[in-house]
Amino acid sequence: MPDRPIPGAAADLEPSSRPGVPMERAPQPMAGARMPIRPQHSDVRVFKHKGRAGFPPVFGTAQPPRGLSGLLRKVAYGYPDHWARHWMILLLADRVDVWEHRLARAAPWAVPTAGVLALTGVAWRKWARA
Amino acid sequence: MRALTYQGPFKVRVENKPDPRLEHPQDVILKVTRTAICGSDLHLLHGLVPDTRVGHTFGHEFTGVVEELGSEVTQLRKGDRVVVPFNISCGTCFYCQRGLTASCENSNPSSDVACGVYGYSHTTGGYDGGQAEYVRVPFADVGPLKIPDGMEDEEALFLGDILPTGYMGAEMGEIKGGETVVVFGAGPVGLFAMRSAWLMGAGRVIAVDCVQYRLDFAERYAKVETVNFREVDDIVLYLKDLFDGRGPDVCIDAVGMEAEGSVGQRVLGLGLKLEAGAPTVLTWCIDTVRKGGNVSIVGVYGPPWNLMPIGTAMNKGLTLRMNQCNVRRYMTHLLQHIREGRIDAKGIITHRFSLEDAPKAYHLFAQKQDGCVKCVLTPGHA
Repeated sequence: MPDRPIPGAAADLEPSSRPGVPMERAPQPMAGARMPIRPQHSDVRVFKHKGRAGFPPVFGTAQPPRGLSGLLRKVAYGYPDHWARHWMILLLADRVDVWEHRLARAAPWAVPTAGVLALTGVAWRKWARA
Repeated sequence: MRALTYQGPFKVRVENKPDPRLEHPQDVILKVTRTAICGSDLHLLHGLVPDTRVGHTFGHEFTGVVEELGSEVTQLRKGDRVVVPFNISCGTCFYCQRGLTASCENSNPSSDVACGVYGYSHTTGGYDGGQAEYVRVPFADVGPLKIPDGMEDEEALFLGDILPTGYMGAEMGEIKGGETVVVFGAGPVGLFAMRSAWLMGAGRVIAVDCVQYRLDFAERYAKVETVNFREVDDIVLYLKDLFDGRGPDVCIDAVGMEAEGSVGQRVLGLGLKLEAGAPTVLTWCIDTVRKGGNVSIVGVYGPPWNLMPIGTAMNKGLTLRMNQCNVRRYMTHLLQHIREGRIDAKGIITHRFSLEDAPKAYHLFAQKQDGCVKCVLTPGHA
């Protein structure tokens, strides 16, 4: 192996030159930070897991819960996140969510198609009896 | 706007969805100029991260131009070019004040395991990500770093995640000069961990993977020795033998929950979901590193549990260090390394796609086809 395998090898040899040393530093607000943080307002339903004391001032509002998967997520967030059932119910809700979307996407053609097939079947049976 | 959306395991597509809007006075809206697919996005794609909802937009590595500002934003102006850390950090909470921005307690109501993260499921706060034309960026005066004039977006893009993550991986190895370092995983984070290990004065660096083209890339890009674990009988014994039967001083896990190498772990974790993925590399790290050595974990693992040899770690007296990267505190330092030519961040990009072709890019990246190391996406307007 060459003495200098890459340009600048050992440039950060001194641990104090590394940004993450020590990992936990003396507390001080970060540059640009503003206090107090105003709470975000939203009409969208957002879950908080049960192990958390309060709601954070900022949160995401993408893809609000809905349908059966939303109900399952509500149940899951009723448990703290150190309980396995919290995560297992969420994984189940994810799979249910996929099927709900597939059914919703298929409904515009699947419902009329099923109707036509049912009517055809009834007509066929009547014709066969006659 | 056009955005990548999750449709269920192994399926994403690009479709129209409403533009993001300012939801808090400290938000900005960014017009995305470059965004990358991260290895950890594949965990989402494969349905391994709980509370990943259909319609969710992935993407936590992106650069952009400030388009709209919240009323309390003072450090940015419309038109500023910025790169954004993947962590959403307030800068004022107990953890942010101590530099642990990945543990911010003011951005994620859903879980205590992580702070808010862009495009990484509702487990990390339910924020849509940057694989879109526009993205909402909270705490905009704290996280984003302005890209200096004359610097391309692609040179700065990886300051938002994989470069600081790789650097922190090496840093947590507590290299003091001359140590032997084994990096498991020759993907983007692993490559940056290797370069960073050299920057910190490592004496010998070895990359381990099973994808030969990535090992070849690591030899060229990071000037390391390589081992393909499929070509040796027992990777742990092989690595121990390389270092007088004791093993290396430091092992870095830059793979995480979807590791190859153990059928049993893959069946349990990825097939049956009886553990959170396959901790094969973590097990190898613990078994390989010398007694009293350091194991640094930057590969992503999820809740609730994994089968790993904690008894071996205890009896060998190992130091295990791990964290999601506290990205913001590394950005300025690593920007300097890029500008002074010590790290060629852009050099790992092997593929560029338009945002519209993102599903194709995901497929290529996930299947490790065409020599793919890193994919960058460009929205139509950029």
